[in-house]
Amino acid sequence: MGLMTLDVPEASAGYSHYGVLARFETAKALYRACEAVRDAGYSKWDALTPFPVHGLEKAMGLKPSRLPFLVLATGLTGAGLGFALQSWVHIQAYPLIISGKPLFTWPAFVPVTFELGVLGAALGAVLGMFAFNKLPTYHHPLFRSETFSRVTDDGLFIAIEAWDPKYDDRATAEFLSGLGAVEVEHVPIEDPIDTDDGEGDA
Amino acid sequence: MAQSQDNTQEPVAGRAPLIVGGYDFRSLTEAVAVPVERKTPIGWWFFFLPSLAMLGLFGVSIGWLFWEGTGIWGLNNPVNWGFAIVNFVFWVGIGHAGTLISAILFLFRQKWRTSINRAAEAMTIFAVMCALVFPGIHVGRVWVAYWMFPLPNQMDMWPNFRSPLIWDVFAVSIYGTVSLMFWYVGLIPDLATIRDRAKTRIRKIAYGIFALGWRGSHRNWLHYERAYLMLAGLATPLVLSVHSVVSMDFATAQLPGWHTTIFPPYFVAGAIFSGFAMVMTLMLICRVLFKMEDIITMRHLENMAKIMLLTGCMVGYAYGIEMFIAWYSGNPYEQFAFANRALGPYAWAYWIMVSCNVITPQLFWFKKMRNHIGWLFISSILINIGMWFERFVIVASSLHRDFLPASWDYYQATFWDFASLIGSFGLFFTMFCLFARFLPLVATAEVKTVLPEADPHQGEELVRVVPAGAGAEPAAQPAPAGGGGA
Amino acid sequence: MAHEPRIVRLDRLVIRPGSSWARLPLVAGAAGILGTVLSIVLAMGSKESAKQFYHSWLVAVVFFLCIGLGCLFFVLIHHATKAGWGVVVRRLAENLACTVPVLAVLFVPVVALGMYDLFHWTHADAVAHDRLLQVKAPWLNETGFWIRTTIYFLVWSGLALWFRTASRRQDESGDEALSRRMARFSPAAVALFAVTLTFAGFDWLMSLEPHWYSTMFGVYFFAGTVVSAFAALTVFTLVFERTGHFRGVVTGEHFHDLGKLLFAFTVFWAYIAFSQFFLIWYANIPEETNWFLSRLHGTADNPAAWRPATMLLAIGHFAVPFFFLMPRTIKRNRALLLIGAVWMLAMHLWDVFWLVMPNLHREMTFSLLDATSLLGVGGIFLAAAGWLLGRGSLVPARDPRLAESLAFENI
Repeated sequence: MGLMTLDVPEASAGYSHYGVLARFETAKALYRACEAVRDAGYSKWDALTPFPVHGLEKAMGLKPSRLPFLVLATGLTGAGLGFALQSWVHIQAYPLIISGKPLFTWPAFVPVTFELGVLGAALGAVLGMFAFNKLPTYHHPLFRSETFSRVTDDGLFIAIEAWDPKYDDRATAEFLSGLGAVEVEHVPIEDPIDTDDGEGDA
Repeated sequence: MAQSQDNTQEPVAGRAPLIVGGYDFRSLTEAVAVPVERKTPIGWWFFFLPSLAMLGLFGVSIGWLFWEGTGIWGLNNPVNWGFAIVNFVFWVGIGHAGTLISAILFLFRQKWRTSINRAAEAMTIFAVMCALVFPGIHVGRVWVAYWMFPLPNQMDMWPNFRSPLIWDVFAVSIYGTVSLMFWYVGLIPDLATIRDRAKTRIRKIAYGIFALGWRGSHRNWLHYERAYLMLAGLATPLVLSVHSVVSMDFATAQLPGWHTTIFPPYFVAGAIFSGFAMVMTLMLICRVLFKMEDIITMRHLENMAKIMLLTGCMVGYAYGIEMFIAWYSGNPYEQFAFANRALGPYAWAYWIMVSCNVITPQLFWFKKMRNHIGWLFISSILINIGMWFERFVIVASSLHRDFLPASWDYYQATFWDFASLIGSFGLFFTMFCLFARFLPLVATAEVKTVLPEADPHQGEELVRVVPAGAGAEPAAQPAPAGGGGA
Repeated sequence: MAHEPRIVRLDRLVIRPGSSWARLPLVAGAAGILGTVLSIVLAMGSKESAKQFYHSWLVAVVFFLCIGLGCLFFVLIHHATKAGWGVVVRRLAENLACTVPVLAVLFVPVVALGMYDLFHWTHADAVAHDRLLQVKAPWLNETGFWIRTTIYFLVWSGLALWFRTASRRQDESGDEALSRRMARFSPAAVALFAVTLTFAGFDWLMSLEPHWYSTMFGVYFFAGTVVSAFAALTVFTLVFERTGHFRGVVTGEHFHDLGKLLFAFTVFWAYIAFSQFFLIWYANIPEETNWFLSRLHGTADNPAAWRPATMLLAIGHFAVPFFFLMPRTIKRNRALLLIGAVWMLAMHLWDVFWLVMPNLHREMTFSLLDATSLLGVGGIFLAAAGWLLGRGSLVPARDPRLAESLAFENI
């Protein structure tokens, strides 16, 4: 589901904590833990990893991305507009007989139609991915965590959010420790007391 | 650095490691991020300053061209297309390896691509920039170059979409755009790595802005991987179409030597060939300069050599078929054009082309030569010389013998022709040096996925094969889950 | 959650006596002989029907030959790239590739008898008045034609048999050196294959219209060949799974891959076909456009007789499968993938028909001989394939990469 990503500003109202963040040592442990969290019935949670762990969406119970439909639509739009533009230019706007060919020479329009189709599809893929992922999101409570900076290095994390109906400050943290997490911490929502390097948002 | 070990021998059961040196996630991050963070190595200046000087020459030659006009080049009447078109086709071709590595090898699950795809993609973008300069400066009246785009104007004038040259405008600029997006999407997780490692506020902000707040969420990875897969799927036909369109600049004409139906796939093969040679040249330098011999391993170099052999043979096939069909056609003009190519005034260029492009890669049939760093370097440069000459032969030798013998002439390049060629290398290498200095040279997040410990089912038995005649006794034969590609 | 390994029992991976596969050689062989006899009887009718027979037979043989050759290409490329995923379907390809010598036997006598009716360049009186044919005579003469045809068949049969034998020897010994040897020879074999396939295309199909030439033609022939082979491999794999032989062996992942390759080569075919048409159309040089004109036009009475055939090829061989095979759900759905693969086989047949028949008919015409030839050649092809499949394991049982292939998952 595309738009299921964390909706921090509204959802976090009235919560003092963002949730629990747990670090796992290996991809295998993370995979098992994700299966357990999924089976325990949590819904507002996420796995955070430095690289895409193969097949983790199955362990997390996520549905496949719906991006392809968007890409097909934008691709066809690009190709359609490209073909229409060329036809219009050569039939309507600027009709000229060139090298003895008829005005509507569809084979000659194929290259540009194709290129514009690819352009449309590629823009759809990239911008659609940004939209589905809510990128850019420069502010996120997880960036407050010290250990979380390892998420782009070697840290494999699970974060369960405080507004999950099954969430409980203590029980959830213990549940994650029980799954083999090597580090478990509660992540605050408010800025910690300002220090000179407290800007985790850049 | 850890000692290099041989990973070029693919075992029959299981797979050889893609990277060596015993990296784990953390040391891999270090290995890639440190060159971006530490002080500039002296060796870098050694490459950067000459490149910058060549770029200066490019500026001067373009400035002089604008002042004087295309008369400063050696163009003459039958040969109206000279170095500018040769350089254009050459640079577009160089760009193709980047997309091949990032898209086509991705679709074919060639996981060894992960160590070199970032640099190859960057190279693509810089090569396309170089390529775009040449038709731009070749149009004569550069100040109205924007007429190439379908922009409404008060003259009510529109581009001729039946012209292959307009297809080029679309194909190459869209290729540049899509390559840039592909490269940038791949960079996002690695930019986030540099952001999280940053010690200074400026670095944190500079890299942080472009990292878009990436935090490795798997809900994001899901869309990210899908987008990447689709971009690869789109870039593959795109890359085929771009050089096909470039080949149509020639092949839609009626000129013998230009008009031949094999041109589209033949140009694509040649483009990949030259592009791989360029990646080889650059990687051989970078892996030493940035101490990445264990990440860009012998296995990567050997695989690239194999692809160079394959594409070199394809190009040789196309030369052969062109010759054969020119004879088989029975058309005297065709026959003359090809005989003249091999034996006429430009025979020297033709034989440089054949020996560099067809004969040089044949040595890659031997494993010893595929593993010989010196030969890899020399051959990669020879191949690029040969591929430049291929375009030169196509342009000059086909044009210089017109249908009308009275207009026959010989094309001789001038100083300014060479200045713009050398200058374009200046632009290319300057950009590449800046890239290698300020951005992660290797797609770290992707290389991490090919480490064995990235596999969540590492060591698990997924399938158990019961041999025939074993009765009910299941003999264990653990299957490697995932595992590297060839 | 515990992950239970999937159990694959190799002793189930053979054709069991009494199964419908075991009866295939007999049933298909009978159908093949029936088709052949009917074709010969019909061909005896008149000079015209003999001519029709040679052309129909050529279409049928080339169509099935493409399947065999494409499978040979799959085997070669599989070894050359040391691929893992496709080991489970490689034996199928090895067996189908070995139908090539059988098809050679079907090709040679009929084409030898029909030389004069098939190839205009064999008409001595025509050559005497045609400068172009005189220039081409060193290539287009019967001796050269048969020497080359012999070389093609020997090379292909040799490669197909060698790779099948080596692979089957590994079933017995499990010797890893065999894998290495096959991998070592395959790149050179691919080169040999590329050259022979190109010139076979020139000799058998391009020279039907001896004045016409296109440097792309070999690539075009190759593209169609590979499409038909992936379609055939998909169909065979699906049917084997349905009959229980491949259950638990091939998974949705393998079908997804076969579907992707079928899709990719369909698009590749379209790229090559369009480029060939487009460059000839654009330059508009009479000696080249002629070939397309005879595939777009017809007679004075029916000036667009062949146009629907070309349109069907463009739509059916590209536009429809492009959208049909694109979604991953279709490639992972057995029934829909089967429809797609059978459709592509039909379209490849149409492609061969479209290459050959305008040589005979100025208007698109179907004949009963088209059907009987297809039955004859197809029956014998299937009988040979069934017989080959019945000798031993249906997968390379002791290939060191079998386990990798069985456990394979897509990205």
